[in-house]
Amino acid sequence: MAEFSVTFKPAGIKVIVPQGTDLLTAAFKGGIPLNAVCGGEGLCGKCRVVVTKGKVSGEASSLINDEDRAKGVVLACESIVESDLEILIPQESAGNFEVSGKRRADAEEFLSVGPLEKESALKRDPLVTKIFLEIKKPSDDDGLTDLERVDRELKKRSDPVFITTAISNAKHLGAVLRESGYKVTAVIGHKESSSEIILFEPGDTTDLNYGFAFDIGTTTVTGQLIDLNSGRIIGTRIAYNRQSSYGSDVISRIIYGSDAAGLLKLCESVLSNINEMVEDLATSNSIPLSSIYSAVIAGNMTMMHLLLKSDPSDIRKEPYMPAITAFPPMSAGKAGIKINPKGMISFLPGVSSYVGGDTVAGVLSCGLFDGDELSLLVDIGTNGEIVLGNREWMISCSASAGPSFEGSGLQFGMKAVKGAVQKVVIAENLDLKYETISGDKPKGICGSGYIDLLEQMFRRSLMEKNGKINRSKKTDRIRKTSEGCEYIVAFKDETSIGRDITIDENDIENLKRSKGAIYSAILALLNKMDKRMAEVNRVYIAGGFGNYLDIENAISIGLLPDVPRKIYKFIGNSALAGARMCLASREAFSKALKISQGITYLDLSSEPGYMDEYIAALFFPHTDIGRFPSVR
Amino acid sequence: MALSGLDIYKLLPKTNCKECGFATCLAFAMAMAQKKVPLDKCPTVSAEAKLALESASQPPIKLVTIGTGDTKLEMGNETVMFRHEQKFFHPTGIGILVEDTLGDAELRSRMEKIGKLVFERVGLTIRPELVCIKNSSRSKDKFVNSVKIVASLTSLNLALFTGDQAAVDEALTVIAPRRPLVIWSGEGNIEAFIDIAKKHKTPLAITSNDLDEAAKLTDLAKKAGVEEIVLNFKDRSQSERIQDITYARRSALKKGFRDLGYPAMAFTDETDPGLELCEAVSYVSKYAGLVIIKNCEKEFLFPLLVTRQDIYTDPQKPVQVTPKIYEIGKVNSSSPVIVTTNFSITYFTVAGEVEESKVPTFIICCDAEGMSVLTAWAADKFSAERITDTLKRSGIEQMVTHRKIIIPGYVSVLSGKLEEVSGWKVLVGPREASGIPGFLRGWK
Repeated sequence: MAEFSVTFKPAGIKVIVPQGTDLLTAAFKGGIPLNAVCGGEGLCGKCRVVVTKGKVSGEASSLINDEDRAKGVVLACESIVESDLEILIPQESAGNFEVSGKRRADAEEFLSVGPLEKESALKRDPLVTKIFLEIKKPSDDDGLTDLERVDRELKKRSDPVFITTAISNAKHLGAVLRESGYKVTAVIGHKESSSEIILFEPGDTTDLNYGFAFDIGTTTVTGQLIDLNSGRIIGTRIAYNRQSSYGSDVISRIIYGSDAAGLLKLCESVLSNINEMVEDLATSNSIPLSSIYSAVIAGNMTMMHLLLKSDPSDIRKEPYMPAITAFPPMSAGKAGIKINPKGMISFLPGVSSYVGGDTVAGVLSCGLFDGDELSLLVDIGTNGEIVLGNREWMISCSASAGPSFEGSGLQFGMKAVKGAVQKVVIAENLDLKYETISGDKPKGICGSGYIDLLEQMFRRSLMEKNGKINRSKKTDRIRKTSEGCEYIVAFKDETSIGRDITIDENDIENLKRSKGAIYSAILALLNKMDKRMAEVNRVYIAGGFGNYLDIENAISIGLLPDVPRKIYKFIGNSALAGARMCLASREAFSKALKISQGITYLDLSSEPGYMDEYIAALFFPHTDIGRFPSVR
Repeated sequence: MALSGLDIYKLLPKTNCKECGFATCLAFAMAMAQKKVPLDKCPTVSAEAKLALESASQPPIKLVTIGTGDTKLEMGNETVMFRHEQKFFHPTGIGILVEDTLGDAELRSRMEKIGKLVFERVGLTIRPELVCIKNSSRSKDKFVNSVKIVASLTSLNLALFTGDQAAVDEALTVIAPRRPLVIWSGEGNIEAFIDIAKKHKTPLAITSNDLDEAAKLTDLAKKAGVEEIVLNFKDRSQSERIQDITYARRSALKKGFRDLGYPAMAFTDETDPGLELCEAVSYVSKYAGLVIIKNCEKEFLFPLLVTRQDIYTDPQKPVQVTPKIYEIGKVNSSSPVIVTTNFSITYFTVAGEVEESKVPTFIICCDAEGMSVLTAWAADKFSAERITDTLKRSGIEQMVTHRKIIIPGYVSVLSGKLEEVSGWKVLVGPREASGIPGFLRGWK
């Protein structure tokens, strides 16, 4: 069979494929996974590419208009290679990946909210500790075995906890002792009720002890490298979860992961996210991978199942019970995480199929679980998790908000990283000013930017209550599109992508659904417990918004209830903070276990009032304006 | 006062021991507040808490059962004022009045008519459940005789409406095993009726003039050992009667007032059949557990039964159509085959668009437990396996010669697996039903 070369621009990646291959497959082969939400069925229209040279065959898709077709735009999944080709991949089709094809650029610097109150108060007592031991050499009158000598020394040095070690470590102990002149460092991993020597290192290495905290979200993965001796955060990285190519929501992922091959792919995808962050942060800070001995991972139940290659199918089936919610620790080697292979990976325990370890971590980090007053935690993510309670009781639910506040699923949505528009102000004369993270040229808009934008558009009557753009407003920023109307946030000469950055009515619709889902979930939880918002003393807002979120604006668009602003506290990525706390403190980790067992899960889908609340919330700010007295 | 989940939780041990099958004590408390689980499932509750919780775990409106076996009529045990708050548990019973002044032949013909009041609607059988014999003649013998005849002619539940204790006592010697409702008319001696209800173990309806009297009399009956009581309010205007019934329900549900914590019943006053129907519908809407009407003509009973069916639908349960093949238009062996779920709105939307297309088509509704397409797909109720199973069992293989099936566009991801499992060629249809006419017109 004939073979042809396909060159993908702008990266310039060339692949050789047999005739009859479709362009989607060819792109994957070149390491450029294109957006294909429908799985290459020709339905979503997201894998648009431009044929600049050569010939493809295939039916003309109705998802491409005549004008674009004339320019050579085709759907990659429906186009068959018939000759040597040159293909241009527009940024939007490359989705989560840089068109340059360089994967390294995937994980980006993330400005997170600094240590939380609760965290600073913690006693540092990491899950992995090191003890330097000077062992007496064996002699005729000291006839203990190597391990017994270590044991004797340890007993003098640490709390009287029972410490075991694996046979593989014991086997090497003799060699390590002799090589180091009987001066060794024992690396000890602490589990809930026991401790284990996971490794012996020659000499005194106690000054090197690093750990990773991870928040594995459906849409984004965030990782942070911590120096466990000082508690210092060395760096933070954020990337889109690579599993997104196999579906943007947990249900699609569960279905994809229901057979062994799919499960393996999903697991490898997220492992590649994790390992890139590990390597990137370690290398750029000159920290040897072997001196990272621990990682704590917080994630929703589906993410945990996929990461650990355990069948997630039962999560989506009635009665929605996962196989396991508290995963025991395992070695890094076994988990496939490229820190020291003997290192210990711990997992935040979850509550139910739809409230996971990330939420438990959030509760831990904000301290909701040990306050006397009634508090609310709202974690705004693809699944918006809400927890209500105090020291006495806690109840939680999960609302499928979609990924829009994480900047996914929107035309110009992006993570809260460099170049993202994060603040927007529109003056009375409709002049627009924005601010980007790090002051770079705008590349797109992140969640907090969208919240500002909606509020400002609404305030200036550029957008109506139902989310339609007001066509009668005289401004050159509003223009018609084939699917309605759009509003220009940044003109192409201001941007770094060479195109106008806009928000259209579909984007607004998505955002409206997301905010409605979160708000109505908060109300459903309060109603369930016969509580009113006025009885809540503290509201913690968490989410991947970087270090900025305008609470006032979030209230004005109806995302959050209209109560005194001073009770709100924005805490950034609380799942990551909770994971970090567990990494640095055994006490925090055992609290997390307790929290996970003390949270009651409320299934919104079987709550009669939820749907009504949701429908009522699909307005700016709400169909019942009386609930938002301070919004004009 | 009905306790909230949180109130109950505060009295529980808070150990989260999971022995009750719930993950936390709070989850158990919330289920208990909804009367979904009894307190004795908690193995470690303290005696003190038990005492405090016992009354909370009792239903605010007593369950009353008339009749026995499959055809018994239950009323009470309601927990909400409005259906959307949760659901209504027991549809209002519909009873037909039979007076003992009727001659033998008249009585028999009326009973024959009543026997024919059986209708089918959305796959369910609807009918009145009860015949109420009224002692209008004020003669004991006539009453007992009528009761005997009615009892021999119908298997429906029975109610005896009289003020004559001797008459009801004698009638009950014959029909007590059928557990009829004894309705004390308000005349004569309540104590005697209480004794009779106790002796024959039947539920007792107490007629009173107002709420105060009702509360007094139910207290009396309860203290004497009659548990199953029904409230009946006499000689008032319809609006006052509805007001009384509503107050009784509200005070039971909202204030936990036990003496009115019983289901209510109502007799219609109107004599014009149309007005009587309206009156009966009002009682069905506002909280009567049982309505006794005089009319027994089909054209008046059917709308009443339909209204009742609609009001007492569980709003949390999607309305379903029977999972089977539906033929739209003059289908033949080469007509297209569409598969969708058995959620009624989904089916009717698809069926409407298919009709619109004028292309004769088979629609196969897969049993997705009444979920819509995407919801069912997400919950694994509309999977390749389930669709294949439906195809096999539906008999469609004998009805068409082709092997092509059209699935909803939203579940296009199913196509590969479905082809593999079913052996049928899968065509991905439009996402929205509105695209069906265009799609079908292109069918070859």
